[in-house]
Amino acid sequence: MKNDNFISLDENDDGIDRAGFLKCMAWAGTGLFCMMSGGVLKSYGMSQLMDKATGRIKKNIDIAKGDFSFVQISDSHIGFNKPANPDVLGTLQAAISKINAMPSTPSFILHTGDLSHLAQAEEFDTLDQAMKSAKTGKIFYVPGEHDVLNDNGKQYLQRYGKDTKGNGWYSFDFNGAHFIGLVNVVDTAEGGLGVLGNEQLEWLENDVKGLSSSTPIVVFAHIPLWAVYPQWGWGTRDSAQALSYLKRFGSVSVLNGHIHQTLQKVEGNITFHTATSTAFPQPQPGTAPAAGPMKVPAEQLRNLLGITSVNYVEHDHTLAVTDLPLTNKDEKQPEHQ
Amino acid sequence: MQFKKKYVAISLLASTIAVAVAALPPSVQEFKNLKVLPKNISSKDLSRIMIDDFEDGLGVSCGFCHAEEKDSHRLDYASDAKPEKKIARLMMQMTMGINKKYFNLKHPLIGDSTLVIGCSTCHKGQPHPGDLEEQ
Repeated sequence: MKNDNFISLDENDDGIDRAGFLKCMAWAGTGLFCMMSGGVLKSYGMSQLMDKATGRIKKNIDIAKGDFSFVQISDSHIGFNKPANPDVLGTLQAAISKINAMPSTPSFILHTGDLSHLAQAEEFDTLDQAMKSAKTGKIFYVPGEHDVLNDNGKQYLQRYGKDTKGNGWYSFDFNGAHFIGLVNVVDTAEGGLGVLGNEQLEWLENDVKGLSSSTPIVVFAHIPLWAVYPQWGWGTRDSAQALSYLKRFGSVSVLNGHIHQTLQKVEGNITFHTATSTAFPQPQPGTAPAAGPMKVPAEQLRNLLGITSVNYVEHDHTLAVTDLPLTNKDEKQPEHQ
Repeated sequence: MQFKKKYVAISLLASTIAVAVAALPPSVQEFKNLKVLPKNISSKDLSRIMIDDFEDGLGVSCGFCHAEEKDSHRLDYASDAKPEKKIARLMMQMTMGINKKYFNLKHPLIGDSTLVIGCSTCHKGQPHPGDLEEQ
């Protein structure tokens, strides 16, 4: 099916380097490395960067060491047991192992929602137990729509909502960067689009009001804050309002989950990035009758799951975003089922 | 010695309470306005039907059948305001009827893995099976 809303990018293309308004999305199933500087994005296919023998970044590639780094993981769907991945706990643990094997310990982890599949207490317990083994300073969460089923997020808030506002939104500062966790899954719009709502939008406007325009901003939420594919509910109805409050900032990065695949878009000063799931892949936009768990051959599964690592360089206000699959293409796969 | 006896008694009492609490059945959440699905359905079974059978089977999200609360975008799960919810009830009854009549299942239940015919048998990820013919 042809999809005019979507630009495919050859993995060998060295990426995007344009000033001003830029509308481009990049798809790379096995991961994408990105560096952002002053609203300009340069992206590279992971195959160019990864050493297939070691699974790490090639030694001859010069990547500036960040003042700090953090990792994004998403869509763990603990409790899911369908053929698309009957062992979601195993793949989450593989993701955590990947984090624990990183050359430098990430300062913190952002989990961008769908921790659980059915919002059951035992599913949250299992996730919490698994996340305890991650070597990091702290873990920050935002809910996905699966975490707020049936009770509009009451249980999620009891577990993860300490010191948050409203349905669980909050912000914090780290080494000069301002991080904002938004909730766009409790209220919904026609077609499954996310909604932030007026109360949260007002809070956001006030939250960033006192910040200098040179402050790097990182926003994270479950459903994409850009219209990835509204026909499948892959977007947020009132995201334009939220993004209007961020236009004056020199560097804004928006990290989302929900769609279980890596996509990127740069629009002016804002770089959007969606992460892979640790549980199961979903089809590329418009390539299937509907969104949903996608069964792939067992040997391909872990190439379509992964984590996102971000290095922050204070002097340049640069974020280097790297998506790492759970395995490398040429790596022999373990028996999965 | 007296202190030791007291300590043992308190420990035993605490252990007994802990065992009793652990033995209690998990709390049952009461869902309003269930007409086809069992009124005492567990939160887990209800969520599984909504996600696996309806959301994935029809390629829709909750708001396809559930109406929003007045003056809010929050869903009112008990509301019957949307006609799609009524149709969903009819479809569940039809599905159970087909399984009973043609596949000899004595007590077919939506969400039961023994069902021969389910939502996705015809819907295949589409809200309306007719959409598939048009593609």
